[in-house]
Amino acid sequence: MNEAFAEAVPLTGTAPTEAFTELYERTFPRVYAYVASLLRDRSAAEDVTAQAFERAYRKRRAYRPGRGSMDAWLFGIARNAALDELRRRKRRAVLEVDPEDTDARAPEEHAELAVRRETVRAALASLDGQERDLIALKFAGGLSNGEIARVLRMSESNVGTRLHRTITKLREACHD
Amino acid sequence: MTDVLTAIDDALDTGVAADDDPLTRELQELALVLREDAPQATPEFRERMDWRVESGFQKPRGSRRAWWQPLLQPAAALALTGAVVLVVALAAGGRSGSGGDSGGSSAGPALATDDSGGGGRAAESDSGGAAAGPALSAPKESARSAGGADQAAATVLPPSGGGFAPGRSNRKIERSVALELEMPVDEMARVADQVTAVTNRYGGFVLNSSLSTGNDGAGGDFDLRIPSNRLRSAVRDLSALAEVRTQSQTGRDVTREHVTAKDRLRAARAERRSLLRRLEVATTDEEAEAIRRRLDLVAGEINGLRAQLRDLRLRTDYSVVTVTLASKDGESGGAGGGSFDDALGDAGSLLVSVAGWIVRGLAVGLPLGLLALAGWLVGRVVRRRQRESALA
Repeated sequence: MNEAFAEAVPLTGTAPTEAFTELYERTFPRVYAYVASLLRDRSAAEDVTAQAFERAYRKRRAYRPGRGSMDAWLFGIARNAALDELRRRKRRAVLEVDPEDTDARAPEEHAELAVRRETVRAALASLDGQERDLIALKFAGGLSNGEIARVLRMSESNVGTRLHRTITKLREACHD
Repeated sequence: MTDVLTAIDDALDTGVAADDDPLTRELQELALVLREDAPQATPEFRERMDWRVESGFQKPRGSRRAWWQPLLQPAAALALTGAVVLVVALAAGGRSGSGGDSGGSSAGPALATDDSGGGGRAAESDSGGAAAGPALSAPKESARSAGGADQAAATVLPPSGGGFAPGRSNRKIERSVALELEMPVDEMARVADQVTAVTNRYGGFVLNSSLSTGNDGAGGDFDLRIPSNRLRSAVRDLSALAEVRTQSQTGRDVTREHVTAKDRLRAARAERRSLLRRLEVATTDEEAEAIRRRLDLVAGEINGLRAQLRDLRLRTDYSVVTVTLASKDGESGGAGGGSFDDALGDAGSLLVSVAGWIVRGLAVGLPLGLLALAGWLVGRVVRRRQRESALA
């Protein structure tokens, strides 16, 4: 799918730090994108992303390859950190307001595309928290359905069903 | 559904929405927009993170948690509590175990009271005039009137069946003391001599004795009788002869038996006097013969009761003191360092002891561990639900 799905290097070995650096290089943009999608707050997303990588670094010897890919393991940690942050701040991860423009687009960006983005963002606001989480894991986090199943602790077929239902709902919301 | 999901994955892989089905293509486009619209980290943040990863997430000085802070975590607190309970339980178990090694004797100057039998025998007859009195006053009474300097050495508890004689001031107590002394083999003969000397000094006597200092094992047993009113001093001196391994004392209140025997003796004597008077005034040979036969019976009874009283007096006036001499661990009579059999025996004992400690530890640790596990699992589920509630 992208560079994120390169061959995983075990974290438990002779050079765990090196393996972790490789994991970081491979997943950092996606982890940040996922956390920021969930929190909708650049500053909080940076804190939580940093926290997630630090936790993963400190717990790197606890990773067991038999229990899923490293990416799923790392996203599980990031998700927990993000949910803790959401709970702590007692606010909902919603798109009730216009989402923060976390990356300034080039001015020459096509107007039609910009409108489309806004439409999709508004449609995202109609989803509930769990649906947004699923969308964020899939499209911002770039995880496969199997990896999402690991993170959410549900079956892969269940993830597929829910994903199909959610993206269909999102499409309909875009037309409303 | 599977086809749609596959088409979406294809679009994400290729970056192109090219499905023939317009609806699926629309979903592909939506997926691409969602991915492209994903937030991106600023270069500054990326730079900071790169540095942190390279430095191994080193924390600035002073920000580390204090050593005791992890102890406040519930799991750690539970584990700590469990460990404390385990240590206490093991300590308690170890103490009771050492007491059991001495064959029922309590280690040290502890006191054991034997009240079996006294109650049963005393309950047979009421002729001793033992009226039912306040039972709770009896121990105080007995302790106060035990009639010796050794009251503190042996406190007598009331027999459970109420077989004592309340109200009596001059109580009759049977006492016995068992002492186990430990000493090097080469000192055993000297200590044995001193045991006899101490016994004589306090007016007692040696009933039985045996002493062995040969190569097959050293040891000695002394069965002593020491005047009860000098028992405490004598035991003190005997204890000073060598290291005391175990010491136990027992006391039994036989006042009721004593009173009963005395009353029966008095009654028998009165009957004899009456019979003698009747014999003097007997008018026929048959009557005189019958009185004589009765007199013989009463005389036999009087003799028996006298013997019983004498025996009781002996048992209360003299205390039974048993002294056992034992060589110190690892030493046997003249053998020097111990044989292979001894070593094997010691190893076996050690293994049994270790197994005992392990069993005790498991008995305490296993339920605690299960509790901790259950608590941890419940905590995990609760934590997970709380986290998920953030998305609700």
